Amino acid sequence: MTPQCANCAQKMQILILDDEPIVCKRLRPAFQKAGYEVETFIDSASAMARIEEKRFDIIITDLKMKGTDGMHFLARIKEIAPDTGVVVITGFATSETAKESFRKGAFDFVAKPFKLSDIIDTVRRLAENRRAGPS
Amino acid sequence: MNVIHGLKEFFSFWSPKKPTLPFSVLFKKFRSILERNNRLLELMADMGDKLGGEYVFDSQYVLDISEKIGDLVFKLISDLSVMTQNENVDLFIAFERIQNDIQEELAGRRAFPMTRPAVLLDELNGDLNEEVGNKFANLGDIRNTLGLPTMDGFVITTRAFFDFMEANGLPKHIEHSLATVDIKDETAFEGMCKEVRGRIFEATIPRHVVSNINAMLDIIGGRRQGEPMSFAVRSSAWGEDSDFSFAGQYESVLNVPRKGILQAYRRVIAGAYTPEAWRYRLHRGYRESETAMAVGCQLMVEAEVSGAMYTYAPLSLEKEAMVISAAWGLGPAVVGGLAESDTFFLDRQPPHRVISTESGRKVSKMVMKQNGGTAWYDVAHDLQDRPCLSAEYIQRLAQAAIMIERYYRRPQDVEWAFDSKGNLYILQSRPLNVQPNQPERHRLYIDHASLSAQVLFSGKGTVVQGGVASGKVYVAHGDDDLKDFPYGAILVARYTSPKYSRIMRKARGILTDVGSATGHMATLAREYRVPTVVDTGVATKVLKTGDEVTLDAIQNVVYEGTVKELSQFEITQEDVFEESYEYRMLRRILKKINPLNLVDPHSESFKAARCRTFHDITRFVHEKAVERLIDLSENYQKHHDRMPKRLQFVIPLGLVVIDIEKGTSSPAEARSVTLEQIESTPMKALLQGLSESGMWETNPVAVDLGSLMSSFTRTFSSSLAGPEDVGRNLAVISNHYMNLHLRLGYHFNMLDAYIGEALNDNYIYFRFLGGVSNIARRSRRARFIAEVMECFDFLVEIHGDLIVGRVKKMSQERMVARMKVLGGLIGYTRQLDISMISDERIDLHLADFMQRIQTLTEVSDDAPMCELRPKDADSHPGR
Repeated sequence: MTPQCANCAQKMQILILDDEPIVCKRLRPAFQKAGYEVETFIDSASAMARIEEKRFDIIITDLKMKGTDGMHFLARIKEIAPDTGVVVITGFATSETAKESFRKGAFDFVAKPFKLSDIIDTVRRLAENRRAGPS
Repeated sequence: MNVIHGLKEFFSFWSPKKPTLPFSVLFKKFRSILERNNRLLELMADMGDKLGGEYVFDSQYVLDISEKIGDLVFKLISDLSVMTQNENVDLFIAFERIQNDIQEELAGRRAFPMTRPAVLLDELNGDLNEEVGNKFANLGDIRNTLGLPTMDGFVITTRAFFDFMEANGLPKHIEHSLATVDIKDETAFEGMCKEVRGRIFEATIPRHVVSNINAMLDIIGGRRQGEPMSFAVRSSAWGEDSDFSFAGQYESVLNVPRKGILQAYRRVIAGAYTPEAWRYRLHRGYRESETAMAVGCQLMVEAEVSGAMYTYAPLSLEKEAMVISAAWGLGPAVVGGLAESDTFFLDRQPPHRVISTESGRKVSKMVMKQNGGTAWYDVAHDLQDRPCLSAEYIQRLAQAAIMIERYYRRPQDVEWAFDSKGNLYILQSRPLNVQPNQPERHRLYIDHASLSAQVLFSGKGTVVQGGVASGKVYVAHGDDDLKDFPYGAILVARYTSPKYSRIMRKARGILTDVGSATGHMATLAREYRVPTVVDTGVATKVLKTGDEVTLDAIQNVVYEGTVKELSQFEITQEDVFEESYEYRMLRRILKKINPLNLVDPHSESFKAARCRTFHDITRFVHEKAVERLIDLSENYQKHHDRMPKRLQFVIPLGLVVIDIEKGTSSPAEARSVTLEQIESTPMKALLQGLSESGMWETNPVAVDLGSLMSSFTRTFSSSLAGPEDVGRNLAVISNHYMNLHLRLGYHFNMLDAYIGEALNDNYIYFRFLGGVSNIARRSRRARFIAEVMECFDFLVEIHGDLIVGRVKKMSQERMVARMKVLGGLIGYTRQLDISMISDERIDLHLADFMQRIQTLTEVSDDAPMCELRPKDADSHPGR
């Protein structure tokens, strides 16, 4: 029996960038289970290169990383594909960084550590938003 | 005159110091200690929560929170030093010692905790893989954590390996050989291998290693009480049985007598340098410096039948089957594929039905020879075609293997044996690399499956232990003795309770309506890695006994029916959270922070120098701060800026109240306060419980002489005075807070509670220490108190006379009801032990107490709080 995959074709594409491998390792299976197509990166350069070649619906990124920091990454995403939904995750949550992320176009800002169910809910909301979006 | 002065001087070292700071400053320090204390307990609980698997955290989190905790503990000690005006050198030393250990862990410098050349299996666990290799570290988990049967033994550590190799100049020699030999030249490479092995066979084992091995042999010999010993000597190398399995690459020597151990050791070490093993390492990119061979020596099982078991049969995953291969005699027949064997396919789902049996003709079997070594014997005719495992053996084996699989969250390849008495032994277990045939299709399955399955509830409560479990629901009622709890069921209960620890090995998963993630049950669920979610609020309402459900305690969802794709996904995903570096680091650091060793403040060991964890320090400081405050408020009243007030109450508690903030409505300068003027939520509730329950027994209880006499043989600390002694009691309160020290007769109660609007801040900590009467009566009293408290959701620990109960994170209304219960308990137990003349009295008192407290504890929430009595259980479930 082959699975009846109702939404195979239009599966949401997610890119996750965090330089701590554990975060990618935990998020990938969780989002796969929730029905997303997931790619993960632990260095910003590769992630940066990837967004140049492929469009993602949703991007989850850390802020403070070695190499390119999350703010630059966020800015670049919004240049290439302004309608990509971005969720910022960080262990250094201050109201300043939160404000700046929102100004740069982030959909939400989630402080680490977070519950798996919380981040999945956030992404679900984002996905619904996009479906009902201005276009 | 001089004599008196001298005496004064002499005693001044222990008499409390007269404060040189204003009381307001000292009191500020006391409050600061309480605040830091609470903050610390929260942070510790926060760290504990992260082990559950519901949270995503990174190493930065572990670094940050460890730093915060260290900082708070340091300040806590400093506050105490100001309060008590002494230097607390012992405390600071204890602090530095723990802090240094934590720093080392954080820096990734795992100081080899095990520098001994040999260690008993009893001391091993998964964290010691570097010291004893993966194979025996795993066996340590299986033996010591899961409690599955394994043979006694010890491991000669990697430390011994390095010492052995170094002492014989082998590392240099090997390095030199590798550099000079062309490893592509087969003949030259094999020549090098042979030469190295030859040197190992001739090498001297350092004296300290030999004496350690002998010490281990003596211990095991002692336990055998003279029975002859023979060992299986096996490799346990770095990397072996992990991602790179090295399966079958290294050598094992079977049936080795005591005198042959050293030579068998050399032989196993030499096994690392066979051409096959060495090539395998080179091929995998292992460096020579990464070769480390621990060697396990375990008593042989006189196996009647043995073999291997895969918890996932090498069929397509969808088949959901396990497979056992078995043959008569010792294991190598099956494991090494040396003889015909039987094959049994079983259902992975309980009750693990046998799907098919293929019986081979087993003409010969491997057995132990009298003087060491093994031999092949003929199998008796009538046994050759008979399946060598009974249904019962298969069942026991399947349950043990699934338990191991659940623990590692990986399919397992388990080697096992049954002896002639029918005892099962696990010989080893290694992860089995199962990959779905078509990973892409597998992934489609998973999201399709989880998206199309019916969700019963999700996101409710707190995940205690992650993982996925499918099975039939078993709803446990309040008075259930759980004797009928079926293997493989999912326990659903209204409350968490330590009593569920008895079904922890049988249960696939646990769901409760109410309860905390920090209790005894939670600790055990984590230990056995049973997927568990507590505090869901709805589990007993939604689920009935017999329902088939799937609990995904990673995403925290409960699905209707068996969603087998979820379990498969769980078990085949790349990384297991519990095996991640971050998880293991967090767990190791928590061990330096969380366990509480100093429990009884009246015991000899309640000393600063005995503090082994930050929790110990926190506890110690709290105790000393309260002691100091009592002393200050009694002896130095003129220094006060907050007037202590005497409580005017129908019951003579002799209680002095210090109101920190909005705890009373009586005028600041008043010397007394009435119940009506108490504004502190916890205090008001407690006093109501005491007076309104009518539990304060005013009739004198007859004291029988025997029990009174027996009490004299106990040594009382000075704070436990006679029954006439009331009046040295103190409560520090605010509108939501109360810290109470109440001595009533021989009973000493300590209560620390916060009850406010925010559910998460609410907690009650209750400590009861009693005395008088004999051990039996005291323990009956302890059981009575524990039962009442457990019934009201307290997590209860009993240490001799000392009972500690904790409850937290409940609504204000429920917390208030529980304070009333405690009020009732304090009154009721005042002289209870005297009348506890038989076990039946416990039930009698329980029934009496519950009835009297009932009207005081009704809350508007959905359920009665306590279901202790059978008649309550009748009304369950489906309220």
